[in-house]
Amino acid sequence: MFDFLVSSLTVAGIYGLMALALNLQAGYAGLLNFGHIAFAGLGAYATGIVIQSGGSPWTGAALGVALAMALGWGVARLGRKLASDYWGIATLAIAEILRTVATNEGWLTGGANGISGLPSLFDAWQRPWNAMGFLALVLGVLAIAALATSRLANGRFGRALRLMREEPSLATCMGYDLRSLKSRAIVASAALTALAGSLYAHYMSFVGPDYMLASETFLLWTMVMIGGLGNTAGVLVGVLLVQAAYALVPFAKDYFHFSSDLAGALRLGLIGAILLVCLMWRSEGLVPEKLRRIA
Amino acid sequence: MSGAILIIDSVAKAFGGNKVLQDVSFDVQPGEIVGLLGPNGSGKSTLLNTITGFESIDRGAISHEGRRIDQLPAHRIVRSGVARTFQLPSMPTRMSVIEVAMAAATGHHGLWETLVGTPAVRRSEQAARERAQMLIEQLLLGHARDLPASALSGGQKKLLGIVCALMPNPRLLMLDEPTAGVHPNLRQDIVAALKRLNEQGMTLVIVEHDMHFIRSVCTRCVVLDRGHIVASCAADELASNERVLQAYLGTGAATTSASKPSMETA
Repeated sequence: MFDFLVSSLTVAGIYGLMALALNLQAGYAGLLNFGHIAFAGLGAYATGIVIQSGGSPWTGAALGVALAMALGWGVARLGRKLASDYWGIATLAIAEILRTVATNEGWLTGGANGISGLPSLFDAWQRPWNAMGFLALVLGVLAIAALATSRLANGRFGRALRLMREEPSLATCMGYDLRSLKSRAIVASAALTALAGSLYAHYMSFVGPDYMLASETFLLWTMVMIGGLGNTAGVLVGVLLVQAAYALVPFAKDYFHFSSDLAGALRLGLIGAILLVCLMWRSEGLVPEKLRRIA
Repeated sequence: MSGAILIIDSVAKAFGGNKVLQDVSFDVQPGEIVGLLGPNGSGKSTLLNTITGFESIDRGAISHEGRRIDQLPAHRIVRSGVARTFQLPSMPTRMSVIEVAMAAATGHHGLWETLVGTPAVRRSEQAARERAQMLIEQLLLGHARDLPASALSGGQKKLLGIVCALMPNPRLLMLDEPTAGVHPNLRQDIVAALKRLNEQGMTLVIVEHDMHFIRSVCTRCVVLDRGHIVASCAADELASNERVLQAYLGTGAATTSASKPSMETA
């Protein structure tokens, strides 16, 4: 039970990083990125490929972050010609293309089988301390990311993002270059997400194309929307809630004796139901964005 | 006219087949308050949009302080010292009045600067807060400081738009109907504030319909009609300008209308 809790919290922490990063784009800058998981996929695959060829975890993470930032920059450039909703569809397409490439370029990515046998970062430590160490690392990075993103949001950069989200022409009137603002928000978000992807690869000791399924992006969107778009605390609440729902299903399965297939479907159904209830009752999320007090 | 702060030179703009501006030329000298008038659909707002980069022009040139600005993106024009307000400003729901005003401060911090929060960033943030507070109080929004900006009335939103335009202390300020929908008492305050800014050296271009306002504020008026400039004269001379009367009242109006034209309500 203890192991299960540690494992659930670690995964929640990693999803938390990705959700905070998505919040930077979706919550503050108002960008509908439906291919967000591609950044995590790049982080995870870079880690897998670098480690497979004898590199260090640091190199893997750094390469993943660099690649994701480059992709983020490219995705942002795409937005120059497209209205925001079409841009959202384009991001979904890019993530799907990357997933297809990962599935088919077996020489590099291991194809559908992925890359397994990646070292967890604390292999040298005794059980359960290795898992505890990893959890501490994830929570530490999560705390830093939460502080950093909320600081960004409250400062002048975030103020510009939030103004752009709601009143783009007013922001232009104030001399803000909206393209540059969007690019920087996406690139920063991509970097954080790739780091999370790299951690995930280490934690699972595995990378596969399923990491980049579109449903993963929607899981992140669900977390952010249930918690509260544009609110750091809200995002973390959303992550915890969705992760708790995920973790509870196996217990329900044992208790009610239903099959594993049904359990899998139930997980997704449960998330959908939570999202639906949230949208009907509290469309702004459980912990909605508040006005920022300026002393 | 080499000393002009703004030169509009033979500017043309069409939307599809609709020629909104045709061969529009005029200068604005430093320290002037120019009223831009004309009936609805005469091209005033489009002219304002082309000057501030929100619309491109098909022909001609626009220069600000000797530099061509007609090819620049809107945000670069703002940074070169031209500010504007909107006719019907819309304001964000999840930002307070003071926060919107602070967003308009100069010195845009990047991502890293905001994240690290250097002493220079903190000083400029402090300066932005103080300037925003001062301007909000000057334009009588002090009591609404912490309200969501979208909760303001239409007139108050206009005032907040002016606050935002003034934040970077522009040398040229373009106002799109600053007093339409604003309470008469408040108009006096706006007039006073604009005159004060002008005395401090700010050049103003104002799109306006209200003749009292124009007479009390503008040093010169430029009248547009169907994309052409039909007059450029002092506010007092408007009523006796035949082409202006034609523009507002139709052909023949100059000879048949009473001595006092009904432009007050135009």
